[in-house]
Amino acid sequence: MNTTSRREFLITGASALALSGAIFQSVQGWLGDLQQYTGRNLQRPLSGPLTPSASAQIDPAAHALNRWTFGPGPGDYARVAAMGTDAFLEEQLAPEKIDDGLCDRAIARFSECWWEPLGEAYEEDAEYLPPVLRRVAILRPVYSRRQLFEVMCEFWSDHFNIDPGKGDCRYTKIADDRDVIRAHALGNFREMVRASALSPAMLWYLDGRANVKRTASEKPNENYARELMELHTLGVHGGYTQHDVMEVARCLTGWTILAKKDDGFSGKLLSPLKDRARVVFRKDAHDNAAKQVLGQSIPAGLGEDDLDRVVEIVTSHSSTARFIATKLCVRFISDEPPPAAIDAVALAFADSQGDIKATLRTLFARPEFHASTGMKFKRPFHYVVSALRATNAETDADRGLLSYLEKMGQVPFRYPTPDGYPARAQHWHATLLWRWKFALALANNRIKGTHIARQEIIARLGGDHALAATVLNRQPNTEESDALGKSGDNLALLLASPTFQRC
Amino acid sequence: MSATANLSPNRDDRRALVVVFLRGAADGLTLVAPVADDNYHKFRPRLAVKKSNAVPLDDTFGLHPNLRALQSAWQEGDLAIIHGAGGESDTRSHFEAQDLMEHGGPAAGGWLGRFLRTRGPAPSPLAAVALAPTLPESLSGAPSAAAFESLREFAITDARKGARQEDFARELQRLYALEKDALHDAASHTFEALRRIEAIDTKAPPANGAVYEEKYPFAQGLRQIAQLIKADVGLDAASIDLGGWDSHFTQQTLIEPLMLQLANGLAAFRRDLGPRLATTTVVVMTEFGRRVAENSAFGTDHGRGGAMFVMGGGVKGRRVLGGWPGLKPEMLEGPGDLPVWNNYRDILAPVLTQHGADTASLAQVFPDFPLQPLPLYS
Repeated sequence: MNTTSRREFLITGASALALSGAIFQSVQGWLGDLQQYTGRNLQRPLSGPLTPSASAQIDPAAHALNRWTFGPGPGDYARVAAMGTDAFLEEQLAPEKIDDGLCDRAIARFSECWWEPLGEAYEEDAEYLPPVLRRVAILRPVYSRRQLFEVMCEFWSDHFNIDPGKGDCRYTKIADDRDVIRAHALGNFREMVRASALSPAMLWYLDGRANVKRTASEKPNENYARELMELHTLGVHGGYTQHDVMEVARCLTGWTILAKKDDGFSGKLLSPLKDRARVVFRKDAHDNAAKQVLGQSIPAGLGEDDLDRVVEIVTSHSSTARFIATKLCVRFISDEPPPAAIDAVALAFADSQGDIKATLRTLFARPEFHASTGMKFKRPFHYVVSALRATNAETDADRGLLSYLEKMGQVPFRYPTPDGYPARAQHWHATLLWRWKFALALANNRIKGTHIARQEIIARLGGDHALAATVLNRQPNTEESDALGKSGDNLALLLASPTFQRC
Repeated sequence: MSATANLSPNRDDRRALVVVFLRGAADGLTLVAPVADDNYHKFRPRLAVKKSNAVPLDDTFGLHPNLRALQSAWQEGDLAIIHGAGGESDTRSHFEAQDLMEHGGPAAGGWLGRFLRTRGPAPSPLAAVALAPTLPESLSGAPSAAAFESLREFAITDARKGARQEDFARELQRLYALEKDALHDAASHTFEALRRIEAIDTKAPPANGAVYEEKYPFAQGLRQIAQLIKADVGLDAASIDLGGWDSHFTQQTLIEPLMLQLANGLAAFRRDLGPRLATTTVVVMTEFGRRVAENSAFGTDHGRGGAMFVMGGGVKGRRVLGGWPGLKPEMLEGPGDLPVWNNYRDILAPVLTQHGADTASLAQVFPDFPLQPLPLYS
């Protein structure tokens, strides 16, 4: 979708409907609006074969769906089993070729996601944009067919975490999500790091905007430089020193964002508003002397090119390959991934110079990946989205649904510190009660703004046994079948079951 | 970490922190009045608390008579008061000041949420609760935090039927009992917490003859917090609001009933908890205090410094801490406001230390702030 000026959008909204050449798109947008408000007509059509897995175990097609998506919906298993996991992976690695009409409709009303210039976002109430961002962050994984892409967007959102609750991030995170995370989620890691370094939201969140060197005595702000190495690239034990942190901070002095008034760090008083939050390089605030970063010399006088040297040095460091490989293996294999898998993935990352697709291809070809079926504990967000997908739910992703994510402690974009939501299971075990209550509420249509056609799905799938195999992504075992029969609410029990907490 | 260790079969040694936020900017000079200060009576000719009416605290201060229920907490050393307390926001905007204070500065997430994060994985589904329709900003970013209005929400129920799903719960428990890994422990821990909540007789009278007024949600909220604490469900932090303190006109009619609610609620809570008050801290805070001089409408306008209360949890009470420079006209700030000389963080920090925070975690809870904790415990 093209970017839109906020003013353009507000002005043209109604009149353009009748006049514009983009009439079809507008009508679709408006329909999207209506459908959002009624929370209906956003079901995936249940077409094609819906036969679930006949295997007693998680088979390769089921495993691929468990790990590369936010969970299968009715019919997904049959489709992947028919096309094969290799073809499915290639499909998912080329998201731009996947038609995503349903998801586009689901998020059509949130035109804020495409606003440019960013400065106009400041015309909004301070509390307006973060909820928009959160709803879109739920709707996309629920409705998109570009599932692996959405999985990676979630992964990188944690990796480059920004909580829009801090300062101007409430206005600018929406652009970070678009121009850093989503633009590079399956692209090149180095380019993503560079984009992140120059993201207005990141310059706010980690104080890069205040990293200035105007006088001999002025000390650079080290916050971003440290997190760049500790969290974004090398990892905390990646071999950098305090001196490296200070040198990287010096390299990045002068990059700031235009503010409403000069607060000492930013550019001059600005009008028009549209320039607000625009990233600029202030030569007068840059330390232009020579530096030494991780053993490599950066000569004096490079000015704004220091940034590219730093990004190159930190992203091509061997610790970075290892750090990213480890995080990816934790996400896709297990909480304590086998070292052989990490080695291979790190090598692929280094050899490809941070090509994310190439890195993932290597990871997904590893025997350790194939052997890890059903071993990952879903984080709450993953759990909730997978339940919505399994039941072919329609949702407005508004308060009713968010309140459950709140209780489970994983509302999108509400993690306060730059390390992102924890990846490993132990952090999330205390959320079981809220998962069970969510399962009951979803199965019985007691979540405001979320709806499932329970009887219709069971009928289309061909009965309760097929429902169980669809939700579990394998045949239910004896104990499960017995428990389902006695539970009085088989769908809720399926969604609350131990098996459905894992993937 | 053993899950069950956190829900011991007997009494938990956990400490619970209860944060009471007085929304709307409560007038510290009425709650804790400098009744011995002549200037106070000059600034407040109509609104000042008269020395003869006040509940005496020390040579300078007296509580408003509607806070009389707190007198025994004071006399028995369970209540400390800090004057000139507040944040750094000088916008005098409710939104800005509450937002900054709840976030603990211009940081992401709430201070209470960050504190709970520093403690690692949430040990209980009930580690943090807010007696409110939605979570307050202070709990934003907590590992697990539930906003609720009734304890009955903590049950495996179908909201529509309101009835317990006995069959569902039994079969669920059976499936989790078959698990071999940490999920097994996590589930049995959760079922144990549910069992303890279910065992709470919400209608039972509070302990020690405590009386929570039926008609006030604030009192009923405190009652439920006390029930959670006594049921040992692993509660680390609870948040509850008492709003309506924005007393620009006819201040007395607005806040006198609120003061009764506040004091009676806290007194009942203290009495109800009995010995558990030793491991339970109540902090009462507000976004800012009010203008020293009363206005023409028998009210007060937005100011800066206010009052904070710390009750229980081993606080060395019966003290107004943090100094008191007196109400000299020349020391007032801006349009005539009591300055803030006790940053709220310096009051919360020692409380959090008492609740297990170390220096490193305090730096995460209150980043970019040179802490000078008040000596609340010595």
